[in-house]
Amino acid sequence: MVSTRTRKIFALTLAAIFVFALTGCGGGSGSKQINLMTWGGDFIPREIINQFEEDTGIKVNYKEVTSNEEMQSLLEANPNQYDLAVTTDYMVDIMRRNGQLEVLDKGKLPNFSNINPVYQGNYYDENDEYSIPYAVSISFLLVNPEAVEQLGAEPITGYKDLWQEELKNNVVVIDWSVEIMGLVLKSLGYEYNETDPAIVEEAKQKLFELKDNIVRFETNTPEDSLINGEAVAGFMYSNQAVKGKAADDKLEPVFPVEGMPIYIDSFVMSKQAPNKDNAYKLLNFIMEPEVSAKISDITKFASTNKAAAEFLPEDFKNNPMLNLSDEVVENTSFYIDVAAVTEEYEHIYSEFKMK
Amino acid sequence: MLNMKRIKQNAPAIPILVWIGLLVGIPLIYVLMLSLLSRDNLGNIVFEFTLDNYRRIFDPVYLKVFLNSFLLATLTGLITLFIGYPVAYFTAGLEPRKRSYAIVLIILPFWISSLLRTYGWIILLGNTGLLNNLLMKLNIINAPLPMMYSFGTVLVGTTYMLIPFMIIAIFNSVDKLDRSLLEASSDLGAGKWRTFFKITLPLTMPGIAGGFTLVFIPSLGMFFISDLLGGGQNIFLGNLINSLVTKGRNRPLASAFSVGMIGLVLLVLFIYSRITKNKKEGLFL
Repeated sequence: MVSTRTRKIFALTLAAIFVFALTGCGGGSGSKQINLMTWGGDFIPREIINQFEEDTGIKVNYKEVTSNEEMQSLLEANPNQYDLAVTTDYMVDIMRRNGQLEVLDKGKLPNFSNINPVYQGNYYDENDEYSIPYAVSISFLLVNPEAVEQLGAEPITGYKDLWQEELKNNVVVIDWSVEIMGLVLKSLGYEYNETDPAIVEEAKQKLFELKDNIVRFETNTPEDSLINGEAVAGFMYSNQAVKGKAADDKLEPVFPVEGMPIYIDSFVMSKQAPNKDNAYKLLNFIMEPEVSAKISDITKFASTNKAAAEFLPEDFKNNPMLNLSDEVVENTSFYIDVAAVTEEYEHIYSEFKMK
Repeated sequence: MLNMKRIKQNAPAIPILVWIGLLVGIPLIYVLMLSLLSRDNLGNIVFEFTLDNYRRIFDPVYLKVFLNSFLLATLTGLITLFIGYPVAYFTAGLEPRKRSYAIVLIILPFWISSLLRTYGWIILLGNTGLLNNLLMKLNIINAPLPMMYSFGTVLVGTTYMLIPFMIIAIFNSVDKLDRSLLEASSDLGAGKWRTFFKITLPLTMPGIAGGFTLVFIPSLGMFFISDLLGGGQNIFLGNLINSLVTKGRNRPLASAFSVGMIGLVLLVLFIYSRITKNKKEGLFL
C-alpha cells in the first residue's frame, strides 16, 4: 500500500515537473511536419533539412538536446510529441528495451540497402528493426611523433606505449571513467566494461600507474593540448583528431592495435510518433547517397552509407580518420551495459584522481 | 482579525512564495525522493526505498571529494575576503561620483559570459599563453612554466569569478558604518589598528559573513571552472554530480550527493545566522 501511494505521489510530482518544463514544446499531429530531436551544432546540417523541406513541403521542427538521457526522458514524457530522435547506440538499446521505439517498416525505406553492412546488426539492434545508423565516430590516439622522439620515448603504436616514464605530464585523455578504464582494460588485453572483480582490480592498479603521465583530462577540446604543445599524445574522438590534424600537420593519428571504442548515432522512431509517414520520408531521404555524402562532408563524421563513397570529396576519401577502413572498424567495439559498471568505475576514477 | 490584517499585509509576497515553492520546492523534494530510490542496470529509476546511496557517499574516497570541495569553497571565501575587504573599504570612503564609477567597474565583468572569462585565464596562464611567452621573451625562464591544471589554478578561477560578491557585500556594511564611532574611538585614545579591530571589524561582520556565504555556496557548484582550469586533475562535488547524472546514469546517487551538498550549504547558512544575530557583541571582543 505504502509503496503504491509513494509511487503515485512521485508520479504526480514528476508530472508536475514535466508539465512545467515542457509547456512551449512544439507539437501537433497529422500535419505536414516532423518533430525531430537530436544534438545541436549542425549535427543534421540545416542545409540538408532545408533541401528536404523544399522537396517535400514537410516542415522539420528540430529540437536540440545535450544528452542521450535528456532525449530519453523527453521521449518518455511525451511519446506522442516526437517522431524521430538521433541517439547513441547504448541509448537505442535502452529505449527499445523500455518499449519506446517503433519497429521500422523496411518496405518504406528502399534506401536502407545503401547502409554499409559493417554498421548493421549491432548489439543494440541485432536485426536492424529499430534503428538506422547515421553518424559514426571512434576514439583513437593523436600523436606528435617528433615530440615523442625528443622526449626520448619509443614511438607510440598502441595504448601500452602511453605508460612510458618519458611521457610524464605529456598525455591528454577524454575525461570519462568508462573511457579511461576501457583504455586500460584494452591495454591489458581485456574487453570493455569488464565486471570480474579480479580483472577490475588489475585494471585499477594499472590505471594508477598512468596518473603521472596525464597532464589534462578533457572531453571537449583535447586536441588543443597537442596543438599548443602541452601534450605529445592524446586519446580523443575522431572529429577532434581531425581538427587537431587540420591545425597542425605534424600530428598523426594512431589506431591502437589493442582495439578502439566506436559510437554510432542512429535514427529511431517513437512508437507513438504523430507523423510516421513524414518521418519515413525523411529517413529515406537521409540515406540517399548524394545526401549522405554531403552530410558527412559537413559534419566530418564517418559515413555509414557505402553508396555515398563515390560522392565524397577527395580530401575526405583520402583521410583515414574520416573514411574509416573496414579493417579499423572491425577492430572496434561498443561500450555495452555502461550503466551497470559506471558506479564501480566512477568510484575507481575518483580514487585515481584524488591520489 | 489580527490574522486577516497580517494576511492582507503580506499579500504582495504570495505570488513570489508560490513561485519559489513551485520552482525551488518541488525540484528539491524530487531530489530528496530520488536520493532514496534505487535504479536498475539500464539506469532507470526503480521505486524501491533504500538508504544505500547515503551509505555510499560516506565512502572514504567520496569523503575526500567532499573535503576537497569544502577546502576550495573555504579558501575562495578567505582569499576573496582578504583581497575584497580593503577594496570595499576604500570604495566606500570615496566621494559619491567616484564611488559609483568604482561600483560599475566592480560589476563590469558580469556583462561578459563567465565561460568566456574562464577561457581568458587559459589564454593568460597556458603553456603558450601570454604570461609564459612574456617570461620567455625576457629570458627569465627558458621552458614554459606549468601554471595550468592544478588545484591552485581552480582556486584562481573561483576567486576571480566570485570576488565581486564579496566586495559588494562588505561595501554595503562599511557604507552603513557610523563614522562618528571611529572619531570617538580615536578621541578616547585608540590607535588606527585598535579602532579597526575593536570597532570597524565587528560592525562590518554581517557584511563579511554575508559575502562569505555568497562566495562559498556558488564555488561548491562551479564545475566548469575546475573542468577548464583544473584539467580534470581534481574532483569536486559539482563534477562528480555532473558526471553521475549525465554519463553515469545514476540519478539516485547523484541526488544523495546533492543532498550532502545542501547540507554543507545549510551549515554555512547556520553559521551566518549565528554571526549576524550576535553582531552587537562582535566576534573578536
